[in-house]
Amino acid sequence: MKFTTEERWKLIDKIARETIDYGGEKTTTKSILAELTVKPATGIPFAVAILYGFWSFFGSFAGFFTDGFFVRIFDEHWLPWLQNVFPYEDSWLYYILVGDPTATNSFEAFGMLTSGLFVAIGIVLPAIVAFYFIITLLEDSGYMPRLAVLVDTFLHKIGLHGFAVVPMILSLGCNVPGVESTRTLETKKQRFMMMILLSVFIPCGAQIGVMLSLIPEYTGYIMLYLMVGFFVFGYILNRAIPGKSPEIITDVPPFRAPKWQNVQRKMLTKIKGFFKDAIPFVLLGVGLVNVLYLGGVIEWLSDLLAPVFTTWFGVPKETVIPLISGFLRKDLAVAQLSAIDMSGFQLITSVVLISIYFPCIATFSMIVKEGRKSGGVLRVLGGSLLILGVVVFLWGGLLHLLGMLLGVA
Amino acid sequence: MKILLMGHPNVGKSAVFNRLTGANITESNYPGTTVDYTVGYTFIEGQEYEIIDVPGTFSTEPKDEAEQVALDILADNEDATVISVLDATKVERGLYLSLEIMEKGFPVILALNMWDDAEKRNIHIDLTHLREILKVPVIPTVAISGKGISELARGVTRAEEVDVEELKRRVESL
Repeated sequence: MKFTTEERWKLIDKIARETIDYGGEKTTTKSILAELTVKPATGIPFAVAILYGFWSFFGSFAGFFTDGFFVRIFDEHWLPWLQNVFPYEDSWLYYILVGDPTATNSFEAFGMLTSGLFVAIGIVLPAIVAFYFIITLLEDSGYMPRLAVLVDTFLHKIGLHGFAVVPMILSLGCNVPGVESTRTLETKKQRFMMMILLSVFIPCGAQIGVMLSLIPEYTGYIMLYLMVGFFVFGYILNRAIPGKSPEIITDVPPFRAPKWQNVQRKMLTKIKGFFKDAIPFVLLGVGLVNVLYLGGVIEWLSDLLAPVFTTWFGVPKETVIPLISGFLRKDLAVAQLSAIDMSGFQLITSVVLISIYFPCIATFSMIVKEGRKSGGVLRVLGGSLLILGVVVFLWGGLLHLLGMLLGVA
Repeated sequence: MKILLMGHPNVGKSAVFNRLTGANITESNYPGTTVDYTVGYTFIEGQEYEIIDVPGTFSTEPKDEAEQVALDILADNEDATVISVLDATKVERGLYLSLEIMEKGFPVILALNMWDDAEKRNIHIDLTHLREILKVPVIPTVAISGKGISELARGVTRAEEVDVEELKRRVESL
């Protein structure tokens, strides 16, 4: 026996009238605040203040632990100690594990146990702890759906809707859950667009952490250029890809104070995941690049690609190194730039290239997995690789052009 | 024995799941936190149950991939008991999905979650009357603090299929 929609609602109406008494709601400070955060006039300044506050917290928290604590431990104790006790200074094993015997800081030594550990634990760990704390507060307080309401009109211009802000924010922590959360978008077109835009233009927390540590003075520009890219290509893709972008009606849950126990549990899960899934990849990345270097592959590749790098993008041909390891971990790739001699503008271009050229392997596998559910792997992968190629050349090349026009490249 | 946790997005299914199974899956305060299902186990009165935390869905007609996951699970587990999780402040809305699940012949038990919110907002629900009308266990819960969870677990053993035809007659004669 199945009822019609109308029959169901009629039954429910009657049941509710018999059993539920809505006693009339009192206005509380919480409900006033809840109202103010979704009204554009008050909500937008509020959102700017919140996001700025979080950004400052992120910077100072990560900076405090990295510069004040880990840099000292790694540069003053761990690196010199390792360089001292590790035998066979000229061997390939030394090169792979410890790196440059004359290096004076852990950024530039480039061994698995020196730079690898330093990047993973010294820089990225504090960054993601701070980031996940922020994201957890956004999630648990109920602020995320409010943000969605505020940016709704804006995101409609690129064929998405307010709730697409959720995958965007999750991606700022890590692209993998970001891509997975695109499941809540309604159409295949929206999912496809969002997966590409996320994995190309949204740098993850680990990468942002390294950027802030290595080139704090340029991080803002890089983020801005990537965000602009997100919207420009969102606008283009929305017009180029067939399919619908429906309007949504959504619930905005009430504000709730985050429960400390839940915050703690989420943080622990993420940190455990970081040790298990991320650190091995960082170390592996360093090892792989060192092996490729020893085997002469890097030199061969950078000579081969030199014309593209130097003429089209305007960056040194050695940038091929971070682009290789960027496939494993983007944070590591950005860290490797410190070893390449280049101008400030070239650094900006290189970081932008690292962000957009290809998703890291974890994100890539997630796209493959989700693509299967959303129009077929071949279509999603083929489409995204094509778009990716175009984006890298256009958006990377455009930055070079901008630099030339401004006289800095 | 299988239990499915079903309900609208952001009613606290994952919180109920964590309480029932001792698992650690993500709970957040926004609709759409759970986009894939999680399986956990628990013992109720000596009997082992497999519990599945199903992504939130508004009705049995999917509108996105996460809801599709939910409905596939429902279709694949015809022998399961369903804990229909409702937001106690929005019972009317939640009942629609509960009814649809009853119509499909699943034994159902209702969890009116966020009961504390309903109390704070002056919403009074006549539980005894609601149970008489629906003839299924109706348990008030506050999953985030664990209140009502053991009653909910015991209630599962009393869940029965609902004769919706008769339910309709009962409601109409009120």
